Amino acid sequence: MWTLADKTIKSRLLIGTALYPSPQIMVDAINASGAEVLTVSLRRQNPEQGGGQEFWNYLKELNLNILPNTAGCHSVKEAVTTAQMARELFNTNWLKLEVIGDDYNLQPDPFALLEASKELIAQGFEVFPYCTDDLVLCEKLVEAGCRILMPWGAPIGTGRGLTDPYALKVLRARMPKDITMIVDAGIGSPSHAVQALEMGYDGVLLNTAVAKAADPIVMARAFKHALEAGRLGYEAGVMPEKDLAAPSTPTLGTPFWHQNK
Amino acid sequence: MSNPLSIGIAGAGLSGRLLAWQLAKLGHRITLFDKDQREAGDAAGFTAAGMLTPYAEAEAAELPIYRLGLRSLELWPSLVQELGSVRYQSRGSLLLAHAADYAELAQFNAQLKHSIEPSANQQQHLDRRGLHQLEPELCEHFDKAEFFPEEAWISASDCMQALARQCLELGVQWLEHTQVEEIGEAFICARQRHQAHAKQQPEQAPQQHGEALRRDFDWVIDCRGTGAKSEWKDVRAVRGELLWVQAPAVNITRLVRLMHPRYRLYLVPTGKDDIYIIGATQIESEDWSPMSVRSALELLSALYSLHSGFAEARIVKMDSNCRPALKNNLPQIQVHNRVLRINGLFRHGYLLAPAVAEQVLAVIQKQKVCNTHSAIDSIVSNV
Repeated sequence: MWTLADKTIKSRLLIGTALYPSPQIMVDAINASGAEVLTVSLRRQNPEQGGGQEFWNYLKELNLNILPNTAGCHSVKEAVTTAQMARELFNTNWLKLEVIGDDYNLQPDPFALLEASKELIAQGFEVFPYCTDDLVLCEKLVEAGCRILMPWGAPIGTGRGLTDPYALKVLRARMPKDITMIVDAGIGSPSHAVQALEMGYDGVLLNTAVAKAADPIVMARAFKHALEAGRLGYEAGVMPEKDLAAPSTPTLGTPFWHQNK
Repeated sequence: MSNPLSIGIAGAGLSGRLLAWQLAKLGHRITLFDKDQREAGDAAGFTAAGMLTPYAEAEAAELPIYRLGLRSLELWPSLVQELGSVRYQSRGSLLLAHAADYAELAQFNAQLKHSIEPSANQQQHLDRRGLHQLEPELCEHFDKAEFFPEEAWISASDCMQALARQCLELGVQWLEHTQVEEIGEAFICARQRHQAHAKQQPEQAPQQHGEALRRDFDWVIDCRGTGAKSEWKDVRAVRGELLWVQAPAVNITRLVRLMHPRYRLYLVPTGKDDIYIIGATQIESEDWSPMSVRSALELLSALYSLHSGFAEARIVKMDSNCRPALKNNLPQIQVHNRVLRINGLFRHGYLLAPAVAEQVLAVIQKQKVCNTHSAIDSIVSNV
């Protein structure tokens, strides 16, 4: 069990709800993944006029934690309005804050993100900011009151994994221990998730890797195991890498001139 | 016909019309109830692009869609011939991606191979030369393409009109402006609005004024799509947006799909007056409002990236509609005594309708579906 914001949960997978072949496959994949947090977008559903309800009801019926997101928002104002609507619709103060700076690879706009975070924290939201792996940005988000950070592994939907493991490692090491850190976006395969958790990240958030897999339900199970493996690996303490191969058993019987090779 | 039946059909969208026509041809007496007028209405069949592309759909949809789609592709040509004056093209479809998005093509191919493994006749990988032979103007921006030679297109507007014409010729009693209020075993209750009040107003509660009527039938078929939501819990509406442009500077003759990391664009050359249909968004929302600026920007910028000749095209029409889907996004026919309920054709109305109608007819005629595909999926469930 671990603590995410004010909730104690078991799974370290946060999963998205877009791009599945059907709502039924989405529901089956979510169940197979063991995820207890679902992220949901609402910007395009016209929630002002009551759109989107039927689809969201499928999610509400799962009785898991809903993390509404502001996907598709390009400005502070748009993100704040969407957040307020989300709070009302899903009866939660959780919010995955996404403010897009570049439309092509959906890169977050760090400046607008920081500003929107301040505003939403003042309004009582638990902000999960989708950010880059920039150390200074992350420090400022923490200063602004974020208890959770969600740096990207790679741009959304690319499936490239952790493109800069060094930056992510440094970020985890430099952020205070009590800050929850989740790799959000870019995860393509289960091994990417393992890698993030072995580094000490608390969880991963993903969508495309499961939804667009040839078999989303089986891929969801694969990620369930990957998150467990990655976390256990971290807790167990991964051995440090060494430059030379060291035999695990003494090589008695090998002539000394071979041992020197 | 030794034993003509009286059959009431609720809803004159594509499925309702197609069934009314086919059943009337068999000699049955058909009454068709529809809240709209014959020429236009809320039916998704009026808004559809009419793509008959089972292979390209197999990437995002499940296998039953593909197999029912193949069956429809077999059935449409003779139906079109009988209907008369319906534009139908079977020149195949092309699937493209810009160089920066080749990964999308790779993923599409991997997905397709995983689900259906198309043969060399069904799918061809074209290089620049191959593409140039088929659609030279696409070589402005594209170096390769996937080609599905068997895929086709039907004009939705022609088809809706032709079906109406055929129904009337065969003596189908068509009750326009008639809101169905109750469907029961062997009867339909409805309320016929006076013409003066008969405006299109989706999602409006049945009007109190107007003439109540009840008809008894041997069989009742519910084809109301999203209109049947109150009686079929799992039916939901999924918004889609399309636009029509007139582009004399563009000469593309085949269906085109453009893969993009976040949205899919398709282009349908209608073969008439340089009109191209561009679609479509897919938004999980029962939202009947006009097209959003965001959607228009996405569709139009993707369109422009296909061919620079679209810059000076004229936007002739923008339209949006809601399509009825079930939780698994697959169609279903529910049979309960003498009531048949059809729903969930979703964004595959024209791709599925003939194959679905074939199964409905089989239930009513108490026959087995006769088809050449042994693996076709039965979507009939007895409830």
